[in-house]
Amino acid sequence: MKTVTVLVLSVLFQTAGNLLVSRGMKQLAATSPWETTPWLSFSLQMAASPSVCLGTLLLITFFILYAALLSWADLSFVLPASSFGYVLNVALAHYLLLEPVSVSRWFGTMLISIGVVLVSMTGTQSGEPVKEETVSQNEVSG
Amino acid sequence: MKTALMITIIVFSTSASDVLIARGARQVKRLSVFKVSEIALIARRILSNGSLLSGVLMAAASFFAFLIVLSWADLSLVLPATSLSYVIATLGSKIILRERINRLRWTGTFLVCAGVALISLP
Repeated sequence: MKTVTVLVLSVLFQTAGNLLVSRGMKQLAATSPWETTPWLSFSLQMAASPSVCLGTLLLITFFILYAALLSWADLSFVLPASSFGYVLNVALAHYLLLEPVSVSRWFGTMLISIGVVLVSMTGTQSGEPVKEETVSQNEVSG
Repeated sequence: MKTALMITIIVFSTSASDVLIARGARQVKRLSVFKVSEIALIARRILSNGSLLSGVLMAAASFFAFLIVLSWADLSLVLPATSLSYVIATLGSKIILRERINRLRWTGTFLVCAGVALISLP
């Protein structure tokens, strides 16, 4: 139960962080595009943007939660279980940031999520893939 | 084209940072910070570990590239595209670490590639 709660929380933090930095960077680029703005000035504006700072803070929180999660849960469970984050990110980018998301992009995002599940089902260590598979299935059902 | 270049940088720096941090973490070992007296020792080990430091540096580079590409590209394109690092990690473990990759993993890797191809359609 603790694992699922922390997992859901970390995905929510990551999604919120991504949305915020994305919004912040778009706002920044509207006034000073990356190609034409001097490097130092661009960096300073990034550091001064509330959206970028708050988003970065949320992403750091995500990173700490995720690392804590991996200290007790198997990566072969955490990775596939968190792959729904891709779909959540694209969905919220569509509804909150009003990004146009085509049918092929939805379909592609879902393929990636399924692909990540398959990649991580085979385990992250070499050898004994069958054993690792049963472990991750037990964790999912349990 | 510019977006593809930035995504390539993100994907490669993420994969490199994963490998370096994993290698460094195994070298440092015992990261259980329970005693105050041990914190200084562990901190010194972390700071003197080249793999770990360059791994963190690569992670930082990857994050800045992510921020910069988001200043013009859609999050709904960039984020799924960064999953290509799974493909690079699989190829890397096959070629560099000589791990055996089973059929399920190749299928997953292929699905990620197909998905990335689909999201990059206009």
